[in-house]
This record gives sequence, C-alpha cells and structure tokens, in this order.
Amino acid sequence: MLALGSLAFANPWMLAALAGLPLLWLLLRVTPPAPRMERFPAIRLLYRLRSEEETPDTAPWWLILLRLLLAALVILAVAHPIRNADEAFSGVGGALVIVVDDDWAAARRWNDRITVMEGLVDRAERDGRPIFLLRGTWTPDDERPLDRPLTPAEARSVIKAMQPQPRPVTLETLSTALETAPPPSPADVVWLSNGVLDPGEARLTTQLRRLGGLTVVADDAKGVSVLVPPTSAGRTVEVEAARPAAGIVEPITVRVVAGDGRVIANAAGEFAAGEPRTKIEISLPVELRNDIARLEIEGETTAAAVALLDDAFKRRPVGLVSDTAFDGKQPLLDELHYLERALSPFSEVTRGTLSSLLRGGASALILADVGIVPEGDRRQLKTWIEAGGVLIRFAGPRLAAASLDTKGLGLEDLVPTRLRGGDRALGGALSWARPLSITGFSPEGPFAEIAGYGDVVVRRQVLAEPAIDLDERTWARLADGTPIVTARRQGEGWLVLFHTTANPEWSDLSLSGLFVDMLSRVVGLGAGHAGARAGETLPPLETLDGFGRLGVPPATARGLSIGEDGASPEVGPKQPPGYYGTQAGRRALNLAIDPAKLLPQPVPPSGVAQRGYASGEELDFRPALLSAALALFLIDLLVTLIMRGHLTARALTAGGSASRSLGSVMILAVVLAGLTLVPSPARAQAEDREHDDFAMKASLQTRLAYVITGNEGVDVVSGSGLSSLSDVLIRRTAIEPNSPVGIDLEIDELAFFALLYWPITPDQPPLSGEAVKRVNAFMRNGGTILFDTRDQFEGGSSSGGAGMRRLRALSRDLDIPPLTPVPQDHVLTKAFYLLNDFPGRFTGGQVWIQDQRDGTANEVTPVIIGSHDWSGAWARDQTGRFALPVVPGGEIQREMAFRFGVNLVMYALTGNYKADQVHVPSILERLGQ
Amino acid sequence: MIRHQAEALAGRLPPLQVQAERIAATVAQGLHGRRRAGQGESFWQFRRYQQFDEARHIDWRRSARGRDVFVRENEWEAAQSVWIWRDSSPSMRYRSRRDLPEKADRADVLAAALAILLINGGENVGLLGEGMAARGGRVGLNIFIESIAVSDGGTSAPPAEPLPRHAGVVLIADFLEPVSVYRASIAALAGRGCVGHCLQILDPAEEGFPFAGRIRFEGTEDEDPHLLRRADRVRGEYREKLALHREELKDLTATFGWSFTTHDTDQPADAALLALYGALSRTVVWE
Repeated sequence: MLALGSLAFANPWMLAALAGLPLLWLLLRVTPPAPRMERFPAIRLLYRLRSEEETPDTAPWWLILLRLLLAALVILAVAHPIRNADEAFSGVGGALVIVVDDDWAAARRWNDRITVMEGLVDRAERDGRPIFLLRGTWTPDDERPLDRPLTPAEARSVIKAMQPQPRPVTLETLSTALETAPPPSPADVVWLSNGVLDPGEARLTTQLRRLGGLTVVADDAKGVSVLVPPTSAGRTVEVEAARPAAGIVEPITVRVVAGDGRVIANAAGEFAAGEPRTKIEISLPVELRNDIARLEIEGETTAAAVALLDDAFKRRPVGLVSDTAFDGKQPLLDELHYLERALSPFSEVTRGTLSSLLRGGASALILADVGIVPEGDRRQLKTWIEAGGVLIRFAGPRLAAASLDTKGLGLEDLVPTRLRGGDRALGGALSWARPLSITGFSPEGPFAEIAGYGDVVVRRQVLAEPAIDLDERTWARLADGTPIVTARRQGEGWLVLFHTTANPEWSDLSLSGLFVDMLSRVVGLGAGHAGARAGETLPPLETLDGFGRLGVPPATARGLSIGEDGASPEVGPKQPPGYYGTQAGRRALNLAIDPAKLLPQPVPPSGVAQRGYASGEELDFRPALLSAALALFLIDLLVTLIMRGHLTARALTAGGSASRSLGSVMILAVVLAGLTLVPSPARAQAEDREHDDFAMKASLQTRLAYVITGNEGVDVVSGSGLSSLSDVLIRRTAIEPNSPVGIDLEIDELAFFALLYWPITPDQPPLSGEAVKRVNAFMRNGGTILFDTRDQFEGGSSSGGAGMRRLRALSRDLDIPPLTPVPQDHVLTKAFYLLNDFPGRFTGGQVWIQDQRDGTANEVTPVIIGSHDWSGAWARDQTGRFALPVVPGGEIQREMAFRFGVNLVMYALTGNYKADQVHVPSILERLGQ
Repeated sequence: MIRHQAEALAGRLPPLQVQAERIAATVAQGLHGRRRAGQGESFWQFRRYQQFDEARHIDWRRSARGRDVFVRENEWEAAQSVWIWRDSSPSMRYRSRRDLPEKADRADVLAAALAILLINGGENVGLLGEGMAARGGRVGLNIFIESIAVSDGGTSAPPAEPLPRHAGVVLIADFLEPVSVYRASIAALAGRGCVGHCLQILDPAEEGFPFAGRIRFEGTEDEDPHLLRRADRVRGEYREKLALHREELKDLTATFGWSFTTHDTDQPADAALLALYGALSRTVVWE
C-alpha cells in the first residue's frame, strides 16, 4: 500500500500505467474521427473539390482530453485509492488481534471505536489475515472461544452487535484465559483502550507484546467523570463526582431527573484545579426530592455517570411504638391516631412493639409519651440511631411524671437535652400565663422554611434544662423562647423530642397542618429502607446499558441476591446496574466506580505504538472513479455519435439504425453501471427465507390459525376442525379462507392473523418471554384469541376444569383484560347468525369476553374464553364424517357450533360492523326512504 | 390485387390533382383565349346569318328577339400538343430539411398543374417517356395525372421518343448530370422542330451547400462517395461550379431556342408554374 498523506492506494503499481497517457495522446491525435455521412445528389459537382487546408485531420482537442481523462480515471480506479486507510498496524504480519475495552468508559466514544474496528477488519480482509477479537469484559461464560479466528464477515457482525458493557473491564480474567488459549504469533495487536487504568493492564500489555507488534489506540481519559451514588439524603442530596486525573478546573453539571424523565433540577459544580473529586449539593423541597429517580452528569454518556436512586431514597417507613393493640374505642384521645393520620400521606406507617419495628427496618420510630425506656430497648435504640435512624419522642403526662420521679431526665434517657422534672402549664385557672404559640424556627434546623402557623398554641410542655448547647439543639421555640422541639445528632441518626403531646391534650399542634409539616421534615432526615429483606433475590426490572440508558434487562441478567447484611452484590456480567425487584419495590444497583480506583492509564511502555482515534472514516474512491469513468465514456459515445451524424433530432424521433445502435449502447452502459455500482449481493439467509415463506403463505390469503399445543390428538382436531369451518365459511359466507395454519407461538409471527384458536391442554408448556411479548402484541393490535379450555364436561362450572386451571397458569403473563360473560346483545350473537348461546362439542358453559363497558366497546375483544371444545364439534375425519360426537347431542347442536364459528370469524374480521346495524333504521329514515 | 393497387393510386391521385389544380387556378386567372371565332366550346359572338352558314349554327333564341337571324360563333380553340417530362430518377428523391418537399414531389406537382392549365386551355398533353399519345379534355388530364403517379424511377435525361413535329416540350429535372447527357436529348427533340422549356428544380442545400466539417458525401445514383475534410471551406467553390453548370445548360438550351429557368423547392410552386406557362405561351402557341 502506498500512502500519500491521508490518501493511500491498494494497488499502487497500477499507477505506472499513467505513464502511458502521453502515448495515448499521440495515438488519439493521429487518428481522425470518423467522418459524418451525408447523402447528396449534387455529388458530381464535388468531385474535383478539395479542402484547401492540407493539415492532418485530428480529433478536437477537447475530445482527446476527455478520452485521456477517461483513461486516467480507469487507471486510478484500478489502483484503488482509499482515504484514511487504516494504518494502525505496526506491520509484523500474521494475524490481526483486536483487543477492545468494551466497558462503561468506552461508551464515551463508542462510534469511533466501532469505526476503528471496522477499518481494521477491512484492512485485514484486504490483506487476507485472520482476525481475533478480544473483549476487555470477556468472561469465561462467553460462548465464543478466544483462539478461533473470525472471518471478516463474522468479525463485522460481532462488531456491529458489540455494545459497551455497564461494568469495568476484567483484564485479569482475559489475560488468564489468554495464557491457555493464546492467539497465534506473530500477530499485529491493536488495543482499543478506554483510557482508564485497570489492575490487569500491565500483565495484558506484556502478554500482547509477546505476540508481535502492539499498537494502543488510546483515548485520553480526560473528561471521563463518574458519579458516586448518594447513600442517603438529609435536607440536601449530596453527590460526589470524580475524574481519573486531577487536572485543570472543570465545570460539571449534575442533572436531577424524575422517574418520568422530567428534569427536576440542574446542580452545577466544578472540579477544582488539581482535585480529582468534587462534592455537589442539591437542595430540593421534600416533595420534589421524593420524585428523584436518577442523577446523571450532563454530557456524559456512560453508565458510571448515572446514579439510580431507589425506594430507599423516598420510602421512609415509620414505626409507631405501641405496646398495646390499638383499641378503636376512643381514637381521638389516642396519640398514635394523630401521628398515624399525619404521617400516612407521605410515609409508610406501621405499629408494633419496639423490637418488631426494629426488625422490620424502620427509618424513623416514634415514641409517644413514653417515660423511661427500658434498658434493653434503650441499647437497641441507641445502636439503631447511630446507624441512621430517627427517633422522635413526644412528651406527655408519663414523660413528665418520669422526669419528676428522677429529678429531671438526662441524655442517657434518650432525650436530646436534659429535661427538668415535671411540666409547665401555660394558662389555666391558676396561672397568669397565656397559652403560647410556636413562632421561632431555628434557621439551621429542618423547620427553617416553615412559616405561617401562628395560631398553633401550646398549653403545656416539658421544659429543657438550660445548657450552653441548648440553643443549637433547639429547632423550634414558643413565643417566649422556650424550646418546644429539640434535637440531637447521634452518629448517623437523630434524636428528636417534641416537648408537648402528640394529641390535643397539651397543645393544638396535633390538630394543625404544622404538625404534618414538621413530621414530614423530621422523618425525611432518616435513612431510607428499600423493600428488600436480607437473603431475598430480586428479579431484574430495568437495567442500564453501557451508555447509561435504562432498558429491558439483557437475557444474561440474573436476579439480585441481597446478602445477609442487606447489601447488594457487586455489579458484574450477570448483574448489570439497574433496578431490581418489582415496580412496587425497586432496588437500585449502581455501577458506582470507586473514585479511589479511577486512575488514568499510564503511558504505555516503549516499543508500544500509540495513536488516537482517527477523525476520518475510511473512504474508498474506487466506485466513484469507476462511475465517473463510465459517465465520461457515455459522453464520449454520445459525442462520437453526434460527430458521425448518427445522432440527430431526426434519428432520435424517427428511429432507425442510429437509434437502435444508440439503444444498445444505452443498455450496455446501464449494465456496466450496474456491475460497478451494485454491491455484491447480500447472502440470503435460509432462516429469513423460511420466515418469508411463512409470511407469504399467511398473508397472501386469509387463513384461520390455531396454536400447536404439542398434544398430537388435539392439534389434529384443531386443524381439521378449522378446515371444516373454513369449508362452511366458503359455502355460506363471503369469507373464503385457505387451509388453516398451525402456529408455534415460540417461533411464528402472529401479525398476519385476525383470529387465533388456542385449545388448552393440561400439559402445555409455559410460554417464553418472547412468545408472551408476541401474544400480547397480537392482542393489543386487534387480534382475537379464542381460548378453548375444552373441559366443560369435567367441571361444568367455569372455575373448575383442568383446562381452565392450565389457562390461568399459561396466561399469567398475558395482558388478559377484565372479562365478562358475553352480553345478550353482543355482536358475537349477531355477526352472521342470530345466536343465543355458543355450543361446541359441549354446551352450557359460560363464554367470556373482554368487559367492554368501559368505553372499549368499539374494539374487538382480544380474548374469547370458553370451554366448549368447538374444534371438536367442527372436526371431520378422513372420510368426511364428523370425528367426535357432540354432547348432549343432536345435529342441531353441531349446526349451532358451526354457526358460532361463522359468527366468530365474522366478528374477528369485521369487528363491530354488525353492531352499527342498529343504526340502519334511523339512517334509512334520515335518507327519506 | 388490381383493385388494391387502384385504390392506392386513387388515394394518391386526389392530393396531387387538388394541389396541382389549386396552383393552376392561381395562374389561370391571367390567361385568355385566342380572341377570334373558331372551333371551340366557349361563346365568342353572334353574327348575322350568311348564306354559307349551316342552319344548325343558327341561334334561335337570339334570332327570335329580332327580325334578323343570328348565328352563334364560338371562339377558336386550336389544340396544340405539349409533352411534359419530369425527372423521376433517385436523385430527385431528396430533400435537405423535413419541412421541404422532395424535388420529385415538386416536379410532379408542377407537371400536373401545368397539364391542368394546358388542358383547360384546350391543348393536348402527354407525359413524355410513357409512350402515350397527347390527349386533351378531362379524360386526358386524368390519364396524364395517373401516369405521373404510376411512373417512377426513370432516367435522368428525357428519352428519345418520336414526337409529332412542332410539339411543345417541357422538361422538369434537376439537370445535375453532365451537360453532354442533356445535349443529346435536347438536340434530338429540337431536331424534330419541338420548341421546349427546361425547368431546373434544386433543393436549397444543393443551391447553397450549407455543410461544414468532415463529411463523406454519398451520391444517390451509385456515384462514388467523396470525402471532404472541411466541407465549409469548399462552399464558394461549389457555388461557382454550380453557376458554371447552369451557364452551360442555359447556353445549351439557348442554342436550340429553348428557355431555361430554375426553381428551388423552398420557393412557392406558383411562381415556377407561371414562368413555365408564360414561357410556353410565348414560345409554343403564338409563334
């Protein structure tokens, strides 16, 4: 290959032919163009005449130039020039080994990587070298063995299907595998690196260098940034972002996105110079904070720049500690009643004993007017608070009595500040003091933004012992400055005391909106708890791909087993980051790259070539050159024809030999153009053909379809029943179906059919996910399925038979709408025949269809469920006699079964058309007839 | 078969005849009779009856109006036979542009129109070269036109045919063969006392030689092809040669007292017809 800047020639020696061009010039110059023919009666007068000029006849200079250009173009095309031809080889020869880091960090310039890989494969194909493709995220579970070379076509399809994985590369695993199955040596190795350091990198580098020339296509890691998912949220959500290398000042924006994709907030921050990490605070109102579904770094397209938040972030189960079962007699006196009412709008409230609540994982506990907490409970509570729990206590007569007994309560008694013994009454018959309102909220506390509840008065409270730090522990005060809510941080958690009761006994607080506001803020301080219990396995719900997009979990994703300590396992090949669990209770698994391990890749050792991702794509000029040459050739032909006088307006219109020859020239030209421009025909896949055959068969003619159950007897009856019904349809109606088709739900496309007859057999295997999806799409797009449980004789009731039980199991994943028995006036009763019931081989059972009272009456019901074994009634044997007897019997019943079939097909094909017939009288009347 | 041919002929006749008659009508307006009484069809004058008059010549209607007896005299119409020849050789089947008639077509039209004029004028007309007698009247005209339609592919020079003495001769051709060819024919005709007229019909391309570039010219009558490298360079020379050729033809015809006119197919046929007819009137009839 000869390279001139970015232009290279695949067959450079062909360029030598350009030297022949001057010769061609001479040749063309001395060959005069053929003269024009002209018929002329007065030719005798011309005989003596000679042109005065005796210079040799030459073709016009522009024609010669045109032909030279043509020749030059053809030579250039044969030389096969390519722009940006990939030069990523060090040129050792042998096999081509492509190592690609296909992890999250590679998602940033994924298209460039694909381009480089495709360029390499193109190059290897031209040179006829075997290709080895090694993926950085390779695991021993991968089906493809490492030591088998790929053909260029295979390599292309692998590359096309390759996606960045939402996990770090595992170069250690790869190099261990390469020890046992190394690619042949010598080889040119091209390593498409992601720019982030991996522990196995040094080892792999040595290993690859041993193979032959190693080229590292590097991508400077600058600009990669990852997000450390926040563990809990207090008043503000604090996230940490990290970058591999400490560098210059770099702004960063974190986008806060809600579950429905709406951006709630953008929080800007920046990496300081020389600082690899930064913290960004996002402060949001409680209501909005609960909507946060994910945080992502703006402009980053990697899975590591996305932090998914799960229910732990919003769901804060609150436990109301109560030793006695709730007696509903006098709820208005019960403190827990007020608390429950105030908390239930935004939290999940449970009542129980302390120990059961602690086991259940509450993020906040409320002790309403409990005096001294027993020693054992106290210890438990303390550890729990240290771990992030929020204990909310309310004062009351019992607390006041306890404090009086012990001459005040100390910090060891689980109160945020020392309390004086007894309580203080404000107002009343024997007091000058008036009840006081809650007015002052500490600007540091969570109540800072609350305003406008001046009418809440407190009549009685417990008093805090004055202390130096009392002021900072006070979140709310009465009008005279006495603390009414105090709190203390303990470890990760909080201890909060309301100095009054949670019922209206001591204050109006529990009757006021202020109560709800305060409680929601206090509860929000606690760490959230996701729904999962230790040891549980959660199925994947939605997972992130390497680009950080949520999507359907890949087939390889397995359930998430929560450890005994409640922790999630690490992200891995079988556990992509994403949501696990169910929609009701999701748990997020984040890629969460450890900032400490996020380091830039070191400069490769000497002897390793390094290059960046080429900006341009490889461009093959050959087709363009050949096309241009062909165009010039056509122009030349046209010019020659005109110069010879064959091509005149007359020749074009009147026809004749000239236009015939022109026609053949055109055909030749078109054929040539076709040869040069049409790419080599794509290989027809046998599988595709099979699908196509099925599609053609199913779509060119209307056909009834039945589901192949795998039970041979049932399938034969289904097939013959439907073909017998088809005969009846042809004889009696305008529908002329072709022979029925058996459908394998796991393989066949359903979109071609309007009606699917699905007999249920007890031994039918459950559907795969793909099949479920297809069946659901079929029903959603207007198809009708007739489920025939064929068990009317067994149970007699619709809840009974084995078929019905099997149908329930089979249809668990299907979108079966709410059902109702077929109404008397349903279209199914009058689509062709007027029917009162729908007998099959059996009769007397209920037939169910979609409940269409909710405005779906204009749609065809997606399911019809019955137990009458209709195909049994329709089926005929080889001799044309009916195969099975009808029960209880009589040809009338069989006839009715056929009539049901006719109505059914009519209904499936024409929809509610017949229902509209009820308007016919009024339409006729309006037409004046 | 015969019927088919006849129909094909009949289909071709009317356009020729109609065209010829239309052209003839424009010319006929300027013509007059012999202006003396004689044998003829058209009324000339009434004359008093004289002894030698036959009784059947008395015009009773006129005589009944007065005392005298009148005789009706018709104008004298002396039939002269005119032989028309038009060149129907392949060289006449040429036109340089689609909007022009072929030279042969123009020659046919002119011959027919001339025949119409002459027959209307009471002359007998015959097509030279067909071995037919000159005839007059409607029947003669029909025969003449049919002969024109049927005959084709003749020679480039008029055939030597024994004509009645002092007959009129009209030769319509492109006269592109060497002059010697025509000299023999015309000399033979003139030798029988025939007075004639030659009309040279040329295509404008033959007249002006509008060709340019490298051209191989091919003849229409098996002449050798001729290659011109720069056709535009010889245009002037060609025109000179054509003029010279015409000069020779003119001299030739003048020798025998014949006339020679030219006509191009891009000009209207009337002018040529008038010229022909005028020449005929002068040279043939009123000698």
